[in-house]
Amino acid sequence: MPKLTMKAMLATALVPLMAMPAVAADYGDFSGYTLRVKLIGGAQYEPLYAEISKWEEMTGATVEILSRKNHFELDREIKQDIAAGTLDWCVGSNHTSFAPQYGSIYTDLSAIVSEETLAGFVPLVLEHGTVDGRLVQLPRHSDVSNLFYIKSLYEDAENQAGFKAEYGYDLMPPETWAQVKDQAMFFANPPDFFGTQFVGKDEAITGRFYEMLVAEGGALFSDDWEPTFNSEAGVRALSFFVDLYKAGAVPVGVPNYLWDDTGLGFASGTVAMNLDWGGWSAFFNDPANSKVAGDIGLIRAPKGSAGIRTGWSGSHTFSVTESCDNKEAAASFVTFLTDYDRQMVEARKGLLPTRGQVWDDAKAEFSASGNDFLVTVFETYQASMAEDAFTPPLIPEWIEVSNALWPKLQAAMVGDMTPQEALDEAAEEALLVMEDAGYR
Amino acid sequence: MNPARPVMRAAPPNDGFVTPVTRFFKRNQTALTPVLLLSPALLTMLFVVAIPLAFSLYTSLTPYRLTRPESIEIFVGARNYMRLLSNDDFWEAFLRTILFLAIALNVEFVLGLGIALLINKITWGQRTLRTIMMFPMMFSPILVGFQFKFIFNDNIGILNNALQSLGITDRAIPWLVDGKLAMFSIIFAEVWMSTSVFAILLLAGLFAMPRDPLEAAKVDGCNAWQTFRHITLPFIMPFAFIAMTIRSLDVARAYDIVAVMTDGGPAGRTELLWTMIARVGYENARMGQANAMAYISTILSIAFTYYFFTKLVAARRYMGGAE
Repeated sequence: MPKLTMKAMLATALVPLMAMPAVAADYGDFSGYTLRVKLIGGAQYEPLYAEISKWEEMTGATVEILSRKNHFELDREIKQDIAAGTLDWCVGSNHTSFAPQYGSIYTDLSAIVSEETLAGFVPLVLEHGTVDGRLVQLPRHSDVSNLFYIKSLYEDAENQAGFKAEYGYDLMPPETWAQVKDQAMFFANPPDFFGTQFVGKDEAITGRFYEMLVAEGGALFSDDWEPTFNSEAGVRALSFFVDLYKAGAVPVGVPNYLWDDTGLGFASGTVAMNLDWGGWSAFFNDPANSKVAGDIGLIRAPKGSAGIRTGWSGSHTFSVTESCDNKEAAASFVTFLTDYDRQMVEARKGLLPTRGQVWDDAKAEFSASGNDFLVTVFETYQASMAEDAFTPPLIPEWIEVSNALWPKLQAAMVGDMTPQEALDEAAEEALLVMEDAGYR
Repeated sequence: MNPARPVMRAAPPNDGFVTPVTRFFKRNQTALTPVLLLSPALLTMLFVVAIPLAFSLYTSLTPYRLTRPESIEIFVGARNYMRLLSNDDFWEAFLRTILFLAIALNVEFVLGLGIALLINKITWGQRTLRTIMMFPMMFSPILVGFQFKFIFNDNIGILNNALQSLGITDRAIPWLVDGKLAMFSIIFAEVWMSTSVFAILLLAGLFAMPRDPLEAAKVDGCNAWQTFRHITLPFIMPFAFIAMTIRSLDVARAYDIVAVMTDGGPAGRTELLWTMIARVGYENARMGQANAMAYISTILSIAFTYYFFTKLVAARRYMGGAE
């Protein structure tokens, strides 16, 4: 047997041993208690829920899952519960972008989860989970976007020569969004092939615009909450999307795209570069689903003209209701769902962990099994989660401001308005939202 | 007389315990019987329809937010309605919804009628075909939305790929982006899902149709078109108007299709009242404002229902039916 294979096998065998926590955690005894929970549903979230029976065995409690819906439906249901005063459940899936809307329905976890447990999480992610100084959510997994690209396009000598002749610099994976624009226009050959793509509706395009705005040196609001995204930086940020759209460097349908469209689009092999979430990595590199499997490069999200990398980030989390009749059991449950072993289960599926140790151990495990692609993925995303990630403003009005903004971003894209007109109108609407909410 | 047998005696009169209420009921027994018999239905209507309607009307007069339940106590009068009157986006969505309803219902009627007439002619395998015809309405609107979203996807969608492969076009048609094409795509999905409702109801009408007038028309030398135009069509029109009424109220199920396919975009080009109300009511949590929108949109439902009932009565009168 070759030496390398022997080493790999040995390492694979040792990693789980090294990774195993020294002492099995004590999750308490809640015999006879039924914990009522509302969880986010979907294929990528299910492997974690298969672990719930272990917590039930350890604690003697039973978990009753009242809902298992996507985040938007769950959000709707939670708002109905708030309105009807029927918060008779204990644990709910949450998200850093959604959490501020729910006011004080969720309890401060720093009071019921031990400091030792909290110390295991990446500090920045816990910070993102804090609303008005209260840690209302325990992060399950995080997300930030980085740039996937088709490697062979950059290795092709003809492309290299052609690009240099046209743009005057070497064809390399882009370091700035200005380079992304050049390269996208260079690679585009519509309707067969596109330079890049982006999501174009709902909170998705608001988030993409927001991170570009930050990368261009702008901000959504001033210090006294006046919308400022219609600044020069805002126009530059929006023009990036508008220019690519008008040039045909992105598919003509992007104003209607969401994450599944961009994910499937890149996997179809018809898009050169794709800014996307880490959760897509395994899918992109799976030959059964993706035509670009084995030919994917990945770099950290490029920088805007202000020298800042885009890094719109959010975390899927768990929260405990203030009205819960057994907060100790609820705290035990959310601690279990986000503990080391459970995060390793999700990391193996390509989801980005929120515990520092899991980042390192998952990388070691991928390395030992020879999965270099996932090692690159975890290294890249670990760096961007630590250095580039930022959340939208953690205010209850974020979604409402987003709903004022995204139709105008689309209007600029499809040519109904100029970027300045679109942003001015959106800023007026956003100002009304902020005034109604009592910020000004 | 058998002494072991218990003696049945009439209950002693208890006139001494008669209250004014029981006296009132005894005196008006005949008049009150219908009220008592109807009371279960009336109470059900009160709790299921009237109270929720009154509650939502009240909330439309408040700045009620789902996430701030206490805001339901603030009365702002007609402010939500006044804001809507000057909201161009709302009125554009209102008119677009009328257009959507008018086109979708008419296309569904014409196609449903065609399918019903064809199936009515079949003598073998009719039941199987009827079952197959109902498949689209068994799908959840969300699934229908996803299905057509990917069919109409400009880059990886099957439709554009087929058109390009067949050499019909060399460009990617923006089915879900161009204003007119996007409305067409949404209406197409809605028609695909709901035409069978019309077909089933019209087929029921065709089954109920007496054979005598058709045979008389043949004897009188009418051709197929004349028979259809002057006998079949007038006979099934009451069924068509019933179907139209049901569908005009039920068509809001298309919300899921629109939400998945375009969510009202791009730039509001496919915004319908339903997507707008759902966004304001749930995503923005402004249920007071959303209820004001819903109340104005109720005018639309009442207008469509009134129109179809008027046509239904006229059609029945034409056929010599009950006034």
